[in-house]
Amino acid sequence: MNCQELITYLSDYIDRDLDEALHAEAQQHLATCHDCHVVLDTTQRTILLYHEAYRGGIPQERRSRLFDRLQRSLADRTDCP
Amino acid sequence: MLAQTTTPEISALRAGDPAAFEQLFEANADRLYRLAYGLMRDSQAAEDVVQESFLAVVRGIGSFEGRSSLSTWLYRVAFNASIDRLRRRTEDPLPPDEPDEDLEGVRVPKTLVDWDLTPEQMLADAEVRQQIDQAIHALPPGQQAVFLLRDVEGLSTEEAAEALGLSITATKVRLHRARLQLRELLADYFHERHARRGKGA
Repeated sequence: MNCQELITYLSDYIDRDLDEALHAEAQQHLATCHDCHVVLDTTQRTILLYHEAYRGGIPQERRSRLFDRLQRSLADRTDCP
Repeated sequence: MLAQTTTPEISALRAGDPAAFEQLFEANADRLYRLAYGLMRDSQAAEDVVQESFLAVVRGIGSFEGRSSLSTWLYRVAFNASIDRLRRRTEDPLPPDEPDEDLEGVRVPKTLVDWDLTPEQMLADAEVRQQIDQAIHALPPGQQAVFLLRDVEGLSTEEAAEALGLSITATKVRLHRARLQLRELLADYFHERHARRGKGA
């Protein structure tokens, strides 16, 4: 496997979506290619970074108000008898 | 063809059971908000989209055929509503979606230096946070949505594909492009920051 192929398969490698033979080839390439190893490592760190950075939800007070608004709207529905 | 199913949850929602709605809200509100906020970066608009999505799904529950999960349906409504709002923003036009051809043309990344900050250090730094937001905002929205659903929300490829109305291949291609482009944008930034701080020291 060369660098171009490794990059093409990188997401499938990260997601463990490659068949055994390709996975082994990718691993072999990564063991000897510093550049591809850096790309793998920094791609995984990118994923982790967004996962951590975007973890928050709706701020609590606004969430409660939103829930109340929705309940009122649904109680007012006219499509039910 | 997938079987059509009516779960107790769907029956309860059809009957207007408030507890069933509360459960649906608790399980999905934050996830929908993260998707909508991720795409629009506007907390008020994201909240409106969440509200609109729940209303659309609960009001449409009578005709819900159960081919996908309720969460997937909610995601789809929230995604479409966010994209509609983004299209209406004239001051900040959407980057165009790229064609979902195969990955033959993916180029080998340019910036190949290790990052010297831990994720904790990165997240504690306001400048890094801003770069994280800017980088994802630079992606076409179709790629942003796949990345947010797969890598932030942890949906499977199949679930994300269904939520966004994409093929499995298109979903994988978009995710791969998104990951590589985000990596490249952040790598360029860390490289530049490292050089800047080295000089300033």
